[in-house]
Amino acid sequence: MRPAKLLRVAKWEVTKNAGGVDKRTLVVMALAVLAMGAVAAVAVSGGGPGLDADIYRVGVDESNPYHQVASEDPSFRVQAPDREAFERGDQDLTFYSANRLSRPQTEKQSAALEALRSSTESYNDRTMARADNQTAAFPVTVTLVYQEQNGTSTLDTSTGGGDTTADDGNGSDGPSAGGNGTDGQTSDGATATGGGSGGSAGDGGSDGNTGGGEAAAAGGGANLGGIGAQLTGDVESGTPGDISPPFPFESLVLAFLYIVPMNFVIQAYGSSMLSERLNRRGELLLVTPASRGDIIGGKTLPYFLGAMGVATAITALLRFSGIAPSGSLVAVAAVLPIALLFLAATFCGAMFARSFKELTFVTVTITVTLTSYAFVPAIFTDVTPIALISPLTLVVMDLTGRSISLGAFAFSTLPPLFTALVLFGLGAGLYREEDMFTQRSIPLKVLDALAGRIKSRKSALKMSAILIPFVIVAELGAIAFLFVLDSVSLNVFGTNQSLGIVLVLGVVAVVEELGKSLHLYAGYAHARYERTLRSAIGLGALSGLGFFLAEKGLLIVRLSDLEELPIGDAATLGATPPAGVPLWAVALLFLFAPLALHAVTAAISSVGARRGRWAYVAGVGVAVVVHFAYNLTVVSALA
Amino acid sequence: MIDARDLRKEYGDFVAVEGSTFSVDQGEVFGVIGPNGAGKTTTLKMLAGLLEPTGGTAEIAGMDTETTEMRQQLGFLPEESPLYEEMTPISYLKFFADLYDVSGDVAQRRMHETLDELQLEHKERKLGDMSKGMKRKVAIARSLINDPDVLIYDEPASGLDPLTTNYVIEFTEQLAAEGKTIVFSAHNLFHVESICDRVAIMNEGQIVARGDLDELQAEYGETRYHVYTTVEVPDAVRENGNFRTQVDSMDAVEATRTAAEDAGGQVVDIRTEESSLEEVFLNVAEAGTRGTRYVGEDGE
Repeated sequence: MRPAKLLRVAKWEVTKNAGGVDKRTLVVMALAVLAMGAVAAVAVSGGGPGLDADIYRVGVDESNPYHQVASEDPSFRVQAPDREAFERGDQDLTFYSANRLSRPQTEKQSAALEALRSSTESYNDRTMARADNQTAAFPVTVTLVYQEQNGTSTLDTSTGGGDTTADDGNGSDGPSAGGNGTDGQTSDGATATGGGSGGSAGDGGSDGNTGGGEAAAAGGGANLGGIGAQLTGDVESGTPGDISPPFPFESLVLAFLYIVPMNFVIQAYGSSMLSERLNRRGELLLVTPASRGDIIGGKTLPYFLGAMGVATAITALLRFSGIAPSGSLVAVAAVLPIALLFLAATFCGAMFARSFKELTFVTVTITVTLTSYAFVPAIFTDVTPIALISPLTLVVMDLTGRSISLGAFAFSTLPPLFTALVLFGLGAGLYREEDMFTQRSIPLKVLDALAGRIKSRKSALKMSAILIPFVIVAELGAIAFLFVLDSVSLNVFGTNQSLGIVLVLGVVAVVEELGKSLHLYAGYAHARYERTLRSAIGLGALSGLGFFLAEKGLLIVRLSDLEELPIGDAATLGATPPAGVPLWAVALLFLFAPLALHAVTAAISSVGARRGRWAYVAGVGVAVVVHFAYNLTVVSALA
Repeated sequence: MIDARDLRKEYGDFVAVEGSTFSVDQGEVFGVIGPNGAGKTTTLKMLAGLLEPTGGTAEIAGMDTETTEMRQQLGFLPEESPLYEEMTPISYLKFFADLYDVSGDVAQRRMHETLDELQLEHKERKLGDMSKGMKRKVAIARSLINDPDVLIYDEPASGLDPLTTNYVIEFTEQLAAEGKTIVFSAHNLFHVESICDRVAIMNEGQIVARGDLDELQAEYGETRYHVYTTVEVPDAVRENGNFRTQVDSMDAVEATRTAAEDAGGQVVDIRTEESSLEEVFLNVAEAGTRGTRYVGEDGE
């Protein structure tokens, strides 16, 4: 690959496509991106006009303590008290005196009362937070410790909630606005110390007991505790109402900003790549002194730089606008493997698709799959081993100011990075005259791409090793998706494993057997290998050996704490030997047994593959069953 | 200059080209003809380094056809050369000039000279707005942007109107006169006949005959004699006040002369007519010859 030629192709790609897009389209695209960014920024900053502005009219004198409360809440329009207006329905709430309020007669008036009550709570909280003496303002300290559920869904709601013993009213709360029962939110699987939270905001009056009811209701949200979490905010004092569930919504919205532009980028990139193949337009480039690497690299570079440029701009915008002041180059670097993976998958898709219609299907599939891969683990941001499967978690962590270890960064970014490189390599194998312009179905193109890398019998070993990143990414994705099922017990063959673990073991067996055998089938289909039984067994053994060596060589999971989770440990089949096990047993369990397994199952698939498609399917099926049985046995034995 | 030895190309079980062997000297124009599916384009693409031969070797100036150095010296014009329609001829040629490492000044001069020679106007118009003939001229200019020693042209006049076709053929002849080595394929055998020094006839993936045109005609064609007499003889037709008889040997000519004299007339003219390349090609195809016939060459 020569940089000068690569850059020339890149420059040409930019100028060519710039000439192909009219100015009006560019303006519309720019406006769309700006609008998207503005909406997201407003969403995360909590600013902007509210949908509920001025929806309630409240009549209250300026001398009334609630006048200030209503004035500071944009959902209220403050008017002078007018009994007739209330009866006509022109006012939703009317204060007849400081402590006397109109009785709600309509649903809207009831809602207005609830809104005023909530607004009063917030007002009180804000007032107390500004107090010089915080100890006096918040005399009760609550320490929350979120704990993992232990496989049962029983919720502990016995503590924390319902403690609505009111302090003395401070006079600012009227009787109707009292009853702050928000402390019920502390009940999500938590151990509350200090006797629960008091109604320190000065709730008094007769409505104090409502807190208990709200606490019970809030207990329903305690399922979030199953994720296992810590508080996301830095609030050291306040009311229980300040406690947020461990769901980094705002960070995910921010992270979403990084992903959305990539979907635009891959559309343009996929179209450009496919257009080289349609009508043989790319043929003339292939006959120039520019190599395949120059052409592919040059055509990819602008889109890669575009994606990274957008990521950098977003990070800078978030940082300097104060929305995410901790945002740094780490977030940008974490986006790099995602951007490359999007581009690499699209490149392969463009090399496989026969038409723009087919490419649309392919890019939609890529968008859904990779966005899921990036987002689903990130939902579990506070369960680090799971969340780190996605590099997006690094973005979230960086934006929220949390530190990221080098090991965590490597664990999160290397699998997608290697997968992207392998995808580029496979796609590049098709970037030649005899493959680029043929109209074959996508499955056949996949086989072409694999077969293009097969030169001799040793390729069986090499290909299994090369495909390891795919296997790891697929398995990590499966862990992320099936993690939520980890708490469901299922007695499979008496092993008493959770549903999540059983499913992950099944997925691992399928993914690994496909990774070891698909290239063998491609080799047979393209007459690269002899179809004799002896050859098939030998190729299977080589494939199993290559897979085993690459798997043990990478052991990337050790960079994370994934093994600390039962499902992660099952997926990796205990990459770390348990303490106290004799050396010979370690060697047997962790070296020879897996090697034998991979070699035998790959040989089974290989024997099937040499006889054609359906025999291959049958062979892989048998191999998966053997692999699954082995996995289940080992996991049960190690449990 | 070009040396192809036992070239073979397989696509799965299908053999597209088999045992294709020929050489082309520097400055020579070599034609490759044959029916559709004969393997002409596959052979040319193997020469251009676009297709990797399943077997055999192809070298240009002693270099493997897949090397960068060889590509630097090669101009390839495929049968279909769709252009990047959003570009102008100038930006298109400039891009390829850069890929061939042609310096800016040289590229500017060369592209303008070539486009002028090809009489292409509207150099700044987008290629998508041009006619097929104009696009073909741009494609030819692109094949010359690196001033290659070797040109491989696959159906250069395919799909063009007669006027443009003649222009393209004449331009190719001009290139040959400048000393370029050209490998040329065309369905229109008249074009091949008019500019090629030697030809290879391909059928079903094999070169079934090869040699210079005269010798191929002598081997596979036939010479016809048109004998003009003042009196009517058997099989004669009246033509311009005389009678014309077509025969295919000198013995028949003598017999016609005798017949005319017996009838009191005489022979006023004898003209010979050689078979066209098209007739040679049809004869070769009808013969269904398997295995190459090297006409006028040392068998290889």
